[in-house]
Amino acid sequence: MAQAEATLPSVRYVSQRRRLWRTFTQNRAALVGLAMVAIIVFVAVAAPLLAPHDPLEQSVVNRLTPPSEGYPLGRDDYGRDILSRIIYGARAALLVGIVSVAFGGLLGTAMGTVAGFRGGRVETTIMRVVDVMLAFPDLITGLLVAAVLGGGMTNLILAIGLTIAPRFARVAHGPTLSLKNKDFVEAARALGARDGRLLLVHIVPNVAGELLVLASLWTASAIRLEASLSFIGLGVQPPTPSWGQMIRDGTIHLTDVPLFSLAPGIALLLTVLAFNLLGDGLRDALDPKAQA
Amino acid sequence: MNQQRDREMHELAAAVAGGQISRRALLRRAAMIGLSAPVIGGLLAACGGGGNEETEPTSPAGEGNGSTATTEPGETPSGGAPSGDRPVLRFALDAADLGTLDPHYASSTPDRTVVDMIFNALVRYKPGDSSQFEPDLATEIPEPEIVDGKQVWTFTLRQGVMWHPGPQTESYELTADDVVFSLQKSANSDTSAYAAEYTGMTFEKVDDYTVRITLDTPLSPLLFLPKVANYSGGFIMSQRAVEAMGPDAIKTHPVGTGPFMFQNYTPQNTIELVAWDNYFRGAPKLAGVTLRFMPDPSSRELALQSGEMDVVDGISEARWVDKINAIDGLTADVFGVGEVTFVNFDMSREPLSDVRVRQALAYAMNREEHLALFGEPVAQSVYSVAPAELMAGGLTREEAEQAGVAYDYDPDRAQQLLAEAGVQNLTFEVVTSELDSYRKHYEALQAQLAKIGVTLTVNVVDHPTFHSLIRENVNPIVIYIAFRPNPDAYFSQFFHSDAIVVTGPKPNTNFSHYDKVDDLIEEARAETDPDRQVELWKEINTRILQDMAAMPLLYINQVYGRSKRVDYGHELKSSLALYPQITELTTITG
Amino acid sequence: MAVYALKRILLAVPTLLAVLTLIFIIVRVVPGDPATAALGDYASKEAVEALRQRMGLDKPLYVQYVDFLSGLLRGDLGRSLISSQPVIDQIRFALPHTIELAVAAILIGLVLGIPVGIITAVRRNTMVDYVGRVLSLAGLSFPAFYLGILLLYFFSVRWRLFPTLGAGNFSDPLANLHHLALPAISLGLIETAYIGRMTRSVMINVLGDDYVRTARAKGLSNRVVLLRHAFRAALIPIVSLVGIFAISLIGSSVLTEIVFSRPGLGRLMVGAIRQRDYTTVQSIMVIYACFIVFINLITDLVYGLVDPRVRYE
Repeated sequence: MAQAEATLPSVRYVSQRRRLWRTFTQNRAALVGLAMVAIIVFVAVAAPLLAPHDPLEQSVVNRLTPPSEGYPLGRDDYGRDILSRIIYGARAALLVGIVSVAFGGLLGTAMGTVAGFRGGRVETTIMRVVDVMLAFPDLITGLLVAAVLGGGMTNLILAIGLTIAPRFARVAHGPTLSLKNKDFVEAARALGARDGRLLLVHIVPNVAGELLVLASLWTASAIRLEASLSFIGLGVQPPTPSWGQMIRDGTIHLTDVPLFSLAPGIALLLTVLAFNLLGDGLRDALDPKAQA
Repeated sequence: MNQQRDREMHELAAAVAGGQISRRALLRRAAMIGLSAPVIGGLLAACGGGGNEETEPTSPAGEGNGSTATTEPGETPSGGAPSGDRPVLRFALDAADLGTLDPHYASSTPDRTVVDMIFNALVRYKPGDSSQFEPDLATEIPEPEIVDGKQVWTFTLRQGVMWHPGPQTESYELTADDVVFSLQKSANSDTSAYAAEYTGMTFEKVDDYTVRITLDTPLSPLLFLPKVANYSGGFIMSQRAVEAMGPDAIKTHPVGTGPFMFQNYTPQNTIELVAWDNYFRGAPKLAGVTLRFMPDPSSRELALQSGEMDVVDGISEARWVDKINAIDGLTADVFGVGEVTFVNFDMSREPLSDVRVRQALAYAMNREEHLALFGEPVAQSVYSVAPAELMAGGLTREEAEQAGVAYDYDPDRAQQLLAEAGVQNLTFEVVTSELDSYRKHYEALQAQLAKIGVTLTVNVVDHPTFHSLIRENVNPIVIYIAFRPNPDAYFSQFFHSDAIVVTGPKPNTNFSHYDKVDDLIEEARAETDPDRQVELWKEINTRILQDMAAMPLLYINQVYGRSKRVDYGHELKSSLALYPQITELTTITG
Repeated sequence: MAVYALKRILLAVPTLLAVLTLIFIIVRVVPGDPATAALGDYASKEAVEALRQRMGLDKPLYVQYVDFLSGLLRGDLGRSLISSQPVIDQIRFALPHTIELAVAAILIGLVLGIPVGIITAVRRNTMVDYVGRVLSLAGLSFPAFYLGILLLYFFSVRWRLFPTLGAGNFSDPLANLHHLALPAISLGLIETAYIGRMTRSVMINVLGDDYVRTARAKGLSNRVVLLRHAFRAALIPIVSLVGIFAISLIGSSVLTEIVFSRPGLGRLMVGAIRQRDYTTVQSIMVIYACFIVFINLITDLVYGLVDPRVRYE
């Protein structure tokens, strides 16, 4: 009997995953997105090998020199190599994007599924909290958190994560409601599965696809949000290279050396685009109607 | 219009001559119908009531130009169309919004900019040259006398100075009552941010045009005159307007005697000032000034380039100056006063309590690099906290070198000192403001300290948070950028034990917890012989460096961009209010 | 349904109250206070204390809280701590500018986005689809502030087509439009991307629906099927989702307003946070929160309409 309980849904899950993978690989845009994400991850991981210079090495006398031999994108306000900083900047972007979404996503999913599953007062309370959190526009939340705690990577992740959580909660909540009354869940419950197990084994995997799409799209938004907060001056800690901060610094020189802000801008654009393409592809793969 | 005014003027003159109304009432009514000061002066003289009327020698050609102060600059200045025959100056401020227009609280550059155009004081710094004083509301700068062991300064007021009409007050003539009221307001900590500067001073009215200021402890002119000059607490406010409007309303509707009169304020958008044609130095050549809040530096620059702004707050970098100067029709002004950047070490905590550690950090700092961040002539290196480059009492490079306190870049010496002190793996954690001027210094310092193996973790917070946190003694190392008008202000606020942050009896900005020169500071303050005073200040500067309470790096000048069509009407060398100063003589040509 | 709606509306009240309380606490937890912010680098302890007192910040927190809530009930948002002007006046000035910008951006988004969405949906998996999708993704991948600065540089400084100042006078509609153009385009392009993507996916869903297939099977022309059947069905979700975009617009309009030196709610908010102007921050958040809670309420109701199971319990 215990066996039945374990195999029933997992069979379903595996087959769904296979189908998902097949449709995903047929989607060219999604594959391009995946390839781009892979490249960006590679750049971030292999930054020390790829970067021609130390991204922190200052040479103030050579500050703001336009592109030159050995410094193809020029040097910034402190004479640091812009290309190397863009390469290392992938680390901050990915870290903020992925960790904040992981944090916000887990928190939100937990809130949403628990609320949907338990119902009653727990649900009301949690969903009220979600409504409250949703009442703050994302950039404003970022600003408030940055004002309370200051800038820096950790606070940024916290701020962005808190913005993301309620969005996940809402998405996870709806399907949980309809899933919990599905036959296989009720069957498992009748077989004596505990709530925690039911949630983890039966509910979460079935909303996972949709959450994965959301995660990918929000990673894109998180990276963009980091750039916006950096533009106001409240991004990651110096001297960590950050694209948003580089755009801000470069914008001042827009009329004489547009490259200073365009180069990090393009890096940002491509990264955000990659995650959006990936998310889009996932969504198409998941949506049965879209496959028709 | 003019005919009608002429008729009113004649009626007024007849009324005075016939003894029907007083001189005071005449002045008020004349101002109400929009007569300019010279005309009123002439009128009074004609009535035989002028007496010793002071005529301003620099009266501009505005005389007889009887246009009223009702010209309104358009809400959208894009057209740049002058209202009437006089143009409106469009000025971009580096700020999101105002703080306050109560001059006794105004402290940010945009606030001081607006206040400077609206108010006067007993004496003023010469427009464009803050190294010279000249009479403003007073007819001359007096010599102090000693009466009963106290120092007495007696000011004679200029006659015929008219207040701007306020929302609840008519225009009226400024008298000693206003001056005494205003200085008392400055001295009261409930109504002024600068009260501490007026302790031990009493103000009294002798007659309508004479004010006496008595000091418990005598001060040299260099220390006294700034208190009654057109800066901070020295600005004279209208007694009637302040009393009628209350302390809050006056913050957003200032009533002054200056060349420009407040017209309206749209939060985070614009402030509009119009010419005050009864200004005692003559009617302004501009119809008004529209100040726009533009916190983004790129937007300000682009608005200047597109011709939508006439004057913009610039970026304090030599590179920016060159860029603007290279553009046809634009020019960038670099002027004082310089704001001094110095690095304070909190010597109350380990291991900064060891002078060798502080000196090591000082030797690790590279003035050349900090200078290069801004570039000459926008910035200049300095060798004492109250620097010789800006004021008497500072140390020149040679003087600092002779005294052995120049602290020229020497990383080897730094490491050697650290070794002697027996400290390793030093790490400090600090917060910085998000403003570029602060962040740049911290980020450069971070790289310099890394070279001697010292780790500096820098957290960026927003500007108000930064100001609060450093006052809560969060930072072991505080980089501060400040202008103070004289060495005493620097020393009393940054290096006197009374001013130690959090724990001092009057906590101010002594971030280094330095307490070894209190006596000297007080002695210098009380010294009335200017030469001796300068000697003492140099001694204090040297002591601060010997004990390495703070490392002076550089001063940064002000940078503004303007259309070449704008003529400020004065040579621009330095301005205490940190803006290029718009006066009655400022014009836009072509 | 009516009962469900009423229930949801009643539930929105405690949500709002919680939001307000949270806001009240957050702005006061923030280090730095309006007095220090106003006095800047000249702030001595003494001066700060004096100013705090004048701002009424020395009152106990609960008194300030009760003042805040009772003021709200009376429709009084209080006065700005910095400018002493009634907050309602500041909002009354800023709000039309924000609404104007949001409406213009959404209009641009609808006009450009819907055709893009329909075309990419119909020509799915062709070159047109790929180009359209990548372009619209790129549109929403680009930070609005940077797009704004680039537009400023090219259109205002290089080509002198539009003013750099992004706000005109409402009394002069033509000049006002001229000023509005650049900020509206920079946000509108992003809206185009959102609306285009959404229209595409809604259309794909609808095109797969039985009745559309039936219509097609009946031999109706492609155009008629598309516009009369498919698009009409798609319109409802599109319109309701535009509301949600309006929320995200509030966030992205902040930086646009700063870059274009344009008055508006977002800029007012950022400025107020910077200056720790508690009353203004609170009041703007009240407006944001009401707006967002309202939109969420609508979404919930629509969801309830679509999926009856939600209404049980």
